Amino acid sequence: MKKFLSVAILAGALVAACGGGAASTAPSQAAASQAAASVDPASQAAASAVASQATAGGLIGIAMPTKSSARWIADGDNLVASLKGMGYDTDLQFAEDDIPTQVSQIENMITKGAKVLVIAAIDGTTLTDTLQKAADGGIKVLAYDRLIRNSKNVDYYTTFDNFKVGVLQATSIVQSLGLDAGKTGPFNLELFAGSPDDNNAGFFFNGAMSILQPYIDKGVLVVQSKQTKFPEQIGTLRWDGATAQARMDNILSTFYSDKRVDAVLSPYDGISRGIIASLKAVGYYSADKPGPVVSGQDAELPSVKSILAGEQTSTVFKDTRLLAKSAATMVDQMLKGGTVDVNDTKTYDNGVKVVPSHLLDMVLVTKDNVQKELVDSGYYTADQLK
Amino acid sequence: MSVPVEATPIPTVAPEEPAVARGIVKTLRSGVGQGGMLLALLLGVLFFQITTGGIMLRSLNVTNVFLQNGYILVMALGMLLIIVIGHIDLSVGSVAGFLGAVVAVLIVGVDVPGLGHIQTDPILAVLITLIAGGLIGGFQGWWVAYLRVPSFIVTLAGMLLFRGATLFMLGGQPVGPFPESFRAISAGFIPEAIGSIPDPFGPKDIVLANLTNLPVFGDLKLVLPLGGDSLQLTTLVLGALLCAFIVFLGWRSRREQVKYGFRVPSVRQFWIRNALVILGIMFIAYRLAGYKGLPIVALVAFLLIGLYMFVTMRTVIGRRIYAVGGNSKAAMLSGVNSKLMVFLSFVNMGVLAALGGIIIAARLNSATPKAGYGFELSVIAATFVGGASAYGGVGTVAGTVIGALFFGLLNIGMGIMSIQIDYQFMVQALVLLVAVYFDVRGKSRDA
Repeated sequence: MKKFLSVAILAGALVAACGGGAASTAPSQAAASQAAASVDPASQAAASAVASQATAGGLIGIAMPTKSSARWIADGDNLVASLKGMGYDTDLQFAEDDIPTQVSQIENMITKGAKVLVIAAIDGTTLTDTLQKAADGGIKVLAYDRLIRNSKNVDYYTTFDNFKVGVLQATSIVQSLGLDAGKTGPFNLELFAGSPDDNNAGFFFNGAMSILQPYIDKGVLVVQSKQTKFPEQIGTLRWDGATAQARMDNILSTFYSDKRVDAVLSPYDGISRGIIASLKAVGYYSADKPGPVVSGQDAELPSVKSILAGEQTSTVFKDTRLLAKSAATMVDQMLKGGTVDVNDTKTYDNGVKVVPSHLLDMVLVTKDNVQKELVDSGYYTADQLK
Repeated sequence: MSVPVEATPIPTVAPEEPAVARGIVKTLRSGVGQGGMLLALLLGVLFFQITTGGIMLRSLNVTNVFLQNGYILVMALGMLLIIVIGHIDLSVGSVAGFLGAVVAVLIVGVDVPGLGHIQTDPILAVLITLIAGGLIGGFQGWWVAYLRVPSFIVTLAGMLLFRGATLFMLGGQPVGPFPESFRAISAGFIPEAIGSIPDPFGPKDIVLANLTNLPVFGDLKLVLPLGGDSLQLTTLVLGALLCAFIVFLGWRSRREQVKYGFRVPSVRQFWIRNALVILGIMFIAYRLAGYKGLPIVALVAFLLIGLYMFVTMRTVIGRRIYAVGGNSKAAMLSGVNSKLMVFLSFVNMGVLAALGGIIIAARLNSATPKAGYGFELSVIAATFVGGASAYGGVGTVAGTVIGALFFGLLNIGMGIMSIQIDYQFMVQALVLLVAVYFDVRGKSRDA
């Protein structure tokens, strides 16, 4: 009896595992055949391999934080496509924002003999021991979009110029309120920042404040809630829109019962949407009470629609396809032993060393240039924006 | 008034000597009390050894199994007692996260106005954290045992309470890094006291068979899990000592049973069983020795497993926990202080959650606001898959260990096979459901 049941248990598990393997293999095969025209034929064999049969270039481990956000799925797919195009085999894993899972996944990639690890960390402080193992095995590490902290074993970093993201967000506010044209308000401004455990959040915020602080000092911009301290007052844990919405609710009921908010600095579209929902609930976005200026980032589809509808003012568009391409190029340069193309060797100090970085540029998208930046570039189709 | 006690395997053996093969099957079936799962575990290892082209049983990977599942193993031991006594603890993840934050803040230190930067020695910090874990467990146990609030509710509240307390403690930011001495709990290995020798099986994988053109999998190979660079002798010696100890205990208990006239397995079967145990232990020791030796976290887990086996099977307090879980009223009428037993089970869980939190903080070299999310589910699942009953009174340490390792094996195996996280969740769900179904069905047939 017992023997039968244990076999049945395993059979169930194995059938499920096989099914999973088959299903997860299929799309990558499709991707490979799509790219087949420009790619050497070896990549098709590579796509179907379950275990690590090394192709000419070797195996590249790619650790992404979560499948719950379309952005990371796209990043992962773009990285795989670019690296396969260069003749590398890839192992792409998502950790569902669970830190121990990500650590285990990276360890498994090391076990499988990856040559380079491309890591978008869930929490950049949690990988020191894992990366030591990688270094012991002579494996190079490229931090992708999020800096890995407290480890000397981070070889390179590629990201967007995060300070400049904040600058663009603040510029959008300054221009929309007409401050650059000499208007003196005073205008009421509220500040939101990103997740305190994400290294980028500080860069966004500092970038924005580099523009906004002089106006606040002059009294042109007034933060009625007096909440200006990052991260303890204005941080938004896990970039969660609902958390931001709740905080905006409280700010509006406490400080704005007889005043009007003119601008909100928001670091990310998800947070912007939470803020806008909160504003709508108390009657903004109507004829007699127009909505304030609200910034954003990532050009997420609902926010682009919101911009077209005249609610959100702007978003900062970072073309993640370029980031994936940049990362793949750096991986290739690392393995071929040539010089790796970096353009910043001063800014990104991870607590142990300054990590040589390749920073990419981004654009500010408003109602006026949605068509040019997002549709003409092929990021969204015109149908998606309807 | 029957007090259900977990069935210790007292094999009923035919007087004639069984064939060796039958002996092996029999041993696997009765195993260490949880035969079905043990067999499933072994088949799973074989399956992944083939599908990963031999990576599964490489030294580094066997080491990783313990590094990746140490905290789950430790907390599952506490959860076993909670479930056996008929309760549940949903707060372990949050409590572990919170206590990880406590130990982090103690070690990294805080700025106290007027006193400067105050830090704590790692050993002291660990002790304080373990005590804090006991207090937290006691707090929840008091609500459950003496105020009679259902444990589901108490620990659901605890889950929220300590999640909030973690955020408060860390201010939403990760705290770290830690000194080497503290990180050694999760990243360290026992020091090599004897030396190392080259692997007698040579430095390369030995391929037994090449399987080509399989459906779904394509080309695979069966790799004999032997061969590596060099072996750390201390780990092998410890493995041998453990084997000798287990054989000694088994032989002594067999002799006692003979003295009291119990029917015992034949000498031959005794040795077949012990040979399998020795083979298993020495194989794991050999693989660990092929990397950096016995990880400290595995040593901690092994010591705790031994301790809890002893406590649950051989001590009054251990047997009373089973008695209360089996039938609380009956146990009380026979003079067992049920409430105290429940209270102590929660204190125990708190201490082990603290240890889990310490291990994970040391492993990540950082206490993060999100540490511990979802741990309770892994821990509870491992305990149930290991054969504990949701109705209380039933469950063994060995089964729980196998359950935890089975989940660890699935995760690492599917990870190496590059099966994505979405499929992994679904496979885990299926395993949990099917394992418990067969367990329930098996038990209702027995009854």
